[in-house]
Amino acid sequence: MSQTMVSHQSTRKLRRLLSAASLVRAPGAVVRWVSGGLWGHWQNVVTALVQIWANKGRAMLTTLGIVIAVTSTITVVSMVQGFGDYVTNMLRNFGTNMIFVHPWQPAGMRGMMLGRITMDVDDVRAVGARCDKIRRISPMIFSNATIEYGRDKIENVDFQGATEQFQTIRSYTVEHGRFFGPIDIDAGSYSCVLGASVLKRLNADRSIVGDYVIINGMRFLVLGVFEPKGSAMGNDQDDLILVPYTTSLKMAPFWARFMGFIAEADGEENVEESCLQMTRVLRERHGLQPGDPNDFRIFRQDEILADFERVKIIATSALASIVGISLIVGGIGIMNVCLVSVTERTREIGLRKSIGARRRDILFQFLTEAIVLAVAGGAMGVVLGYAICALASQHPSMVDISVPYWVVLLALGFSATVGLVFGLIPAFKAAILHPIDALRHE
Amino acid sequence: MSSPVTANSNGRDNAVGGENLIELVDIEKIYRVGTEIVRALRGVTLSIAENEYVAIMGPSGSGKSTMMNILGCLDIPTSGKYSLRGKDVAKLSQSRLARIRGGQIGFVFQSFELLPRTTALKNVQLPLVYTQTPNRRQRAMAALDRVGLSDRATHRPNQLSGGQKQRVAIARALAQEPDIILADEPTGNLDSKTGDEIMMIFDSLHAEGQTIIIVTHEEEIAAQCQRVIRLKDGLVASDVTKSKEGGAANGPSAGGADGESDALVDEVVVP
Ligand SMILES: Nc1ncnc2c1ncn2[C@@H]1O[C@H](COP(=O)(O)OP(=O)(O)OP(=O)(O)O)[C@@H](O)[C@H]1O
Ligand SMILES: [Mg+2]
Repeated sequence: MSQTMVSHQSTRKLRRLLSAASLVRAPGAVVRWVSGGLWGHWQNVVTALVQIWANKGRAMLTTLGIVIAVTSTITVVSMVQGFGDYVTNMLRNFGTNMIFVHPWQPAGMRGMMLGRITMDVDDVRAVGARCDKIRRISPMIFSNATIEYGRDKIENVDFQGATEQFQTIRSYTVEHGRFFGPIDIDAGSYSCVLGASVLKRLNADRSIVGDYVIINGMRFLVLGVFEPKGSAMGNDQDDLILVPYTTSLKMAPFWARFMGFIAEADGEENVEESCLQMTRVLRERHGLQPGDPNDFRIFRQDEILADFERVKIIATSALASIVGISLIVGGIGIMNVCLVSVTERTREIGLRKSIGARRRDILFQFLTEAIVLAVAGGAMGVVLGYAICALASQHPSMVDISVPYWVVLLALGFSATVGLVFGLIPAFKAAILHPIDALRHE
Repeated sequence: MSSPVTANSNGRDNAVGGENLIELVDIEKIYRVGTEIVRALRGVTLSIAENEYVAIMGPSGSGKSTMMNILGCLDIPTSGKYSLRGKDVAKLSQSRLARIRGGQIGFVFQSFELLPRTTALKNVQLPLVYTQTPNRRQRAMAALDRVGLSDRATHRPNQLSGGQKQRVAIARALAQEPDIILADEPTGNLDSKTGDEIMMIFDSLHAEGQTIIIVTHEEEIAAQCQRVIRLKDGLVASDVTKSKEGGAANGPSAGGADGESDALVDEVVVP
């Protein structure tokens, strides 16, 4: 008897070999063979869709968890991405490798013991001269100004004093006219460059170049007008007036011993080194002892980025927990509905088995159903996520949000995986049903 | 029309010479329900040859369905040997048994068992999907044609009468060109006239060379078959084969006790 078995098996192997050989010979047969398998899967998908459509309401409720998971993934990821792009752009606008330093009274007793905190133009010059990793440097004097031009008068304009290096460090471009030069700085001349928004607020156009405006009661020659830069972090970067720092010191002498400065490192890789050099020079000049805290603060672009990274991590971990929980809820829902479906369709399973379905055929059928259900929920989540992002983008003070395609793929992949994992138990349950018991089921 | 029948013979060349299509030796089937033991079959020995037309009769609970299930490889006997075309079924794996059900056996059930929300054509195609047979559509259409329902191909089960449903079920059993058709009380849910129509289809299939085994409670139906096996308490009580010349149930016109049904056979089966 085992003899017949063996011979039977070997003929089977032979036949399989022969058919493999014929596959090589006839590409048409290969296509048929492959499409035969695909056809089976496609049939499963069609069956699944028919089943899901027949129980639309149930399917909707079941996939709610997955819908929520996918919607929140798409929304949060897109928004974080949107803000990330925004911050990156903004930093690029600020000028690459920019470092901002300003005097700072450290907190606590040790800060108090430092006494009066100062930073003057000699500090700035020393930093510029002694730090070889710093390419450019400019004092920065910030205040507010009222401007009059003709009959127009605007208040609370960002009034900044700097050197000619400002332009390059902060990546501002003069659209019309020119920027002030070293001569203007030395002389402390009453000349200024206007931002695009100031121009607009003054109801002026480029013809203002060469004309005079009144700033805090003083007459200033308009040397040039900046190209618009847009806004950063909700700040209009074009709402500013730039004058030689010497001029602003004449108007507000207090800042002479309490000024900040901006510097540009010689390449991104040198930002760190620049900061160390700067710290050394300033501590030495300020006579700080080892153990004393710094009497100044340094802001670096990469710190802003690091801050943003922290925000990203918080958002992502909040997202991960929402998504995790709702995926599990969704998965259990799918498992449940598939178990119900298996019970409801026990006779169908029996019938399918009696006409030639193997265990794995039934297994794949119900797995496919679970996956299709989950992916359908995922697709709904994608649509909802898109809708929310589109709606959010409508808000005027919102950054541009676009849904990255990889999130969509990721979300659908997640859904499919949940369908697969949670569909396994019902599918196995269906697959191992005894055909007779299944056919007898009422 | 005739091609499915000739294709039907493809497995037969492999048949071990001289052996019957079906060979049952001392088949027992014991069910355990709790502590109770039900001996549904208590040693059935019989053989069925190619192109036989067999009725299985017997009182309720005598083991008819149990035997059909074993013949159809839906269930395996507790003991005894079942050879299908000389192959010992007990030695086959689950998936091989499924392949046999898909390729060699065609089931017809009392309650039709058509998939709801699925067209007649799709229902008939179903076994062909599992056996990955090419040209499924044409084969399914041909099968529907043989039961006279090609014009109902796109109808769903809820749009068909009981008799039509059973004809779709027969087409589904025929689609894979099986060696045997097993029908467990195929007319049980139908009125007698519709039952006659179904029987005429079986008659003509038999005339085309099909092996058919029918479980029935009705003597008139059994009378149309060549051979009647009666079971009682899980044993063969009698096994009578009508002689060819005298047999009233030995041809497509066999059911033609009344001319009306005869006309229907022509109408239904011959395109
Ligand atoms: N799954 C099962 N578990 C337990 N006992 C069973 C099972 N299936 C059948 N039986 C028992 O086996 C015996 C034979 O059942 P079977 O269904 O073969 O009878 P039958 O001849 O087809 O009857 P009917 O004419 O009523 O359909 C019965 O006593 C039945 O109770
Ligand atoms: Mg029965």
